[in-house]
Amino acid sequence: MTAVAPTRARSRRLPPASVLVSLAVLALALLAVVLGRFLFPDAMHQDILSSTLAPGEDGHLLGTDELGRDVLAMSVAGAASALVGPIIIAVGSMVLGVILGTLAGYERGWLDSVIGRWTDLLLALPVLLAAIVVGGVLGGGYWVTVGLLILLFSPSDIRIVRAGVMEQSARPYIEAAQMLSLSRWRVMFRHILPNVASLVITNMMLNVAFALVAFSSLSFLGVGVAAGTADWGRQLTDNRAIMFDNPAAVFVPAALIVVVAVAVNLVGDWIGQRLSQVGEEA
Amino acid sequence: MIGVEITGLTVTGPAGTMVQPFDAEIPLGTTLALIGESGSGKTLSAKSLIGLLPRGFKAEGAATVADTPLPVGRDDASWRGVRGRQVALLLQDPFTSLSPVHRCGDQIAWTMEAARGHRMLRRERREAVAARLAEVKLPEHVAEAHPHQLSGGMRQRVAIAAALAADPQLLIADEPTTALDASNQAEILDLLRAIQAERRLSVMLISHDLGLVRGRTDTVLVMQSGVIVERGETSRVLSDPQHPYTRALIDADPVVAARRGSGEAAAVDLDGRPTLTSAQGIVKTFGHRTVLHEVDLSVREGEIVGVVGESGSGKTTLARCIAGLEKEDGGTIDFAGETLAPGRASRTPDQMQIVFQDPYSSLNPMMSIRAILAEALAVAGRGADEVPAMLELVGLPAEIASRRPAELSGGQRQRIAIARALAPRPRLLICDESVSALDVSVQAQILELLSGLREQLGIALLFISHDLAVVRMIADTVVVMRDGRVVEQGDCAQVLTEPAHDYTRLLVAASTRENAPAGAGKD
Amino acid sequence: MLAARVLGTLAVLLVLSIVIFAMMYMAPGDLVKNLLGNRASNPDTIAAIRAQYHLDEPVVTQYLLWLKGLLTGDLGESIRLQVPVTEAIGARVGITAAMCAIAFAMSVVVAVPLGVISAVRAGGWTDRIGNALSVLGLSAPTFAVGLLLLYVFAYYLPILPVYGGGDGGLDTLRHLILPGITLALGLGAILVKLTRTAMLRELEADYVTFARARGLSERTVRNLALRGAAIPVVTGASLVLTFLVGGTVLAETTFSLPGLGTLLEDSVLFKDIAVVQALTLLVAVVIAVIALLADLAYLLLDPRLRDRIGVDS
Repeated sequence: MTAVAPTRARSRRLPPASVLVSLAVLALALLAVVLGRFLFPDAMHQDILSSTLAPGEDGHLLGTDELGRDVLAMSVAGAASALVGPIIIAVGSMVLGVILGTLAGYERGWLDSVIGRWTDLLLALPVLLAAIVVGGVLGGGYWVTVGLLILLFSPSDIRIVRAGVMEQSARPYIEAAQMLSLSRWRVMFRHILPNVASLVITNMMLNVAFALVAFSSLSFLGVGVAAGTADWGRQLTDNRAIMFDNPAAVFVPAALIVVVAVAVNLVGDWIGQRLSQVGEEA
Repeated sequence: MIGVEITGLTVTGPAGTMVQPFDAEIPLGTTLALIGESGSGKTLSAKSLIGLLPRGFKAEGAATVADTPLPVGRDDASWRGVRGRQVALLLQDPFTSLSPVHRCGDQIAWTMEAARGHRMLRRERREAVAARLAEVKLPEHVAEAHPHQLSGGMRQRVAIAAALAADPQLLIADEPTTALDASNQAEILDLLRAIQAERRLSVMLISHDLGLVRGRTDTVLVMQSGVIVERGETSRVLSDPQHPYTRALIDADPVVAARRGSGEAAAVDLDGRPTLTSAQGIVKTFGHRTVLHEVDLSVREGEIVGVVGESGSGKTTLARCIAGLEKEDGGTIDFAGETLAPGRASRTPDQMQIVFQDPYSSLNPMMSIRAILAEALAVAGRGADEVPAMLELVGLPAEIASRRPAELSGGQRQRIAIARALAPRPRLLICDESVSALDVSVQAQILELLSGLREQLGIALLFISHDLAVVRMIADTVVVMRDGRVVEQGDCAQVLTEPAHDYTRLLVAASTRENAPAGAGKD
Repeated sequence: MLAARVLGTLAVLLVLSIVIFAMMYMAPGDLVKNLLGNRASNPDTIAAIRAQYHLDEPVVTQYLLWLKGLLTGDLGESIRLQVPVTEAIGARVGITAAMCAIAFAMSVVVAVPLGVISAVRAGGWTDRIGNALSVLGLSAPTFAVGLLLLYVFAYYLPILPVYGGGDGGLDTLRHLILPGITLALGLGAILVKLTRTAMLRELEADYVTFARARGLSERTVRNLALRGAAIPVVTGASLVLTFLVGGTVLAETTFSLPGLGTLLEDSVLFKDIAVVQALTLLVAVVIAVIALLADLAYLLLDPRLRDRIGVDS
């Protein structure tokens, strides 16, 4: 019990190779998000006269799609559409989760019941099915789908934050804060929130990967991104028919989705481990 | 035959040598006590003798049981056939050491079947289990029960039966009673003693509690930071300690102090002091369970009132009702002549504060000590510039302010918790088992700090504890609770020397770690 | 307890049906136009259709009519397919159920043992492979895996059918193998992770140490820990089933299977309210039943819980 916590030397240790590679992948992906448009300003340039080209043909490294568009250019330009939505979904759902989860977990009572019934209702259908039904009914669209997924992702975030807040609320340091008659806002946001932050951040990282997969699935089903847009999920649907003429048109965007999702998962796991170690030391 | 012989046993971990080489002997039918505070290396020593060291730790040295060498420091496979049959280990917490989803009888039978290498027939198995249960004085039907249906004392008996079911010659008991109530502790130790005599077992008893060791062990090893600093016959070591550390341990131990007749709080004249707070007819129920039945209690200004009882007696709930952390269902609580409505809303920080049991979770791990104290000072309109003064008040250096709780020891954290509680200048300080989680030497320092604060600040204390020996060291008056009722109260010295109630007598006996009075215990 | 559960579920279903009904009603697009397609429309036909499907009644009346039908066992008629909803669903439920069963069985059979071995030999090569597979499984969208399998089996390895639902019996089963694998990968990934975590926690528990200290064989100890880990694993399995229900649409679309997923997709686009209502409620009921079964499994697995709610053990 007299042991003094290890110094911060640990934090300078390099993360494992897989995490370093993942970080590099994410950096590249973000670069594509920001610069994709400028690198390939004419990605959407169609050449209807030319038919689908296989990789390497006519100067197209990855071939072209049915509309004669360069697959490489489309894939780089598609990063923005494929990644921005999921990041916003994860962040938005985290914000909802933190606000409603903290209120439900700390205040309990009727507020908790109301929020609890609300999450029950949202969880009655699987995310994907609900998104198909609602998205299909509302006619889809990029931002509609993003908003919808924020809503559908939030119940699990609310539950996770609520459980974390309830666990912290039962600890003596919170009761000590109550003994000082601190305001509930101060207790919630100054005392509890920093202690569930690691949970929240880890979960948000994993949600980015999950949202990337879900978002592209919806694009694949035709809900979400409009046909013909440069977007990884959409490319898969649009190019399914020419899969055997130019496999790259389908499998390059698919591989990009998988690689980015793997990278986000690995980095998320690593952050989670690091943060939980900090928590144990504390 | 010598029984157990240990030579040059040492344990190394990631941070270096944790246990320096030592020798020991445990003749058949005798008990060796290994005494030390947390982190001393006593548990690592014990685990190295059964090959169950945590990952990253390695043991070296030699040990023999009845002239058969133990595979100390070797891999898991070498220990097969040794564990259970030659050496068995009994763990501290009976609430976690049995599988929650299996029946007690099965858990005992597994030990036997592992030793035999085959399953037993149903009838043979039932009879064997019944015999083992009888040895630990439990009825046959316990075999059908799941652990959660039994009390802590009964679970530890089942664990003893399971540990001994393959007839080992050495039993290592790691703090086997620490998780139990006072009235069960003595019973379990006496049971172990009886079984040991019957079976001519060698027992290694690991403990932090010197009082518990007297009369129940033959020899003692005292371990400090991985080094054996003193060894010898138990009675000699306790009466005539040679090493300063042993002496300090004995002086700090409330039980030993109680036996010596010293260690009682200096009498303070309280006559004529006005009542600071009083609780009348407090009733509290959780669901269908009533945990407080019309309890009365009062604290005068500057008085230290001890509330004693075992787990489930309602003592903590009573304290929490007074603090406003629980809302009582009936009765009234007055403070300085005013009636307080249930709950925190009617209370102010300068009325009362609490110091909790667990020093590890009572400070916000994400805040610095300075931030923690400054927040508490601000509540009373005091500035952060008083942080050093608060630290000084609880005997800590000012530099500590920049650290986080994780960088402090348990005792230091508890001092911070006390400083935080004192910052709004409360008139009543509630200590809910505030020293129970601390090592005895630290415990003694905190008790000293608390009674010093009473003299210095004139603050009143409501001191909740399961340990009469601790209460005896600090309280002026004592309230004994059982099953949500007050069974006895009065002047501390008087209640403890001439207990009027049977239950108080039982607690007094337990507090000096004497053998339990026959029939008084309950399970 | 059970009664409260069922009532709660019914309330959720009721609200859900209202929400979906309202949404479908307010959504853009005209059912009649969808129905007539390119055929020439005359006012009489339109009026007849509107009357047949009560489209001229106020929305509340329409909903109540639907609810009344539901209570009498009549789910209405699919406007798009021109058959009763029960018939439309009945014709396709078999394929979806069989595909889910195959996927679930495959993922449990592979993932649970893999998770257990990963935990027992934490840090070993099985653990690494298990971890890599689970990260990959979590990261690869169902449709991407499906397309890859489709490509490989259509092009390089034409031993399994990649299109449609086959013509019943064993042939259908053969058609469901690839969709099943596609779905099982994602499920298995989650299950491996859950099993490993639960198992690691149990192996750290005091009772496992005590079991080892009494000389119990490593195999017995492992079984003990697995029994202790059963509750979180069952919880995981029930969550995974929910996930599975969502994934069916993707697998069915990828492999052009005539199942419930594709039915739902088509019906949504067509504004075929009766089918969408019936399908969403069916899914919600299935999910509620799965959760209920998981709770009953806890009762079976945890004697503490049995005592708390007063069931005799």
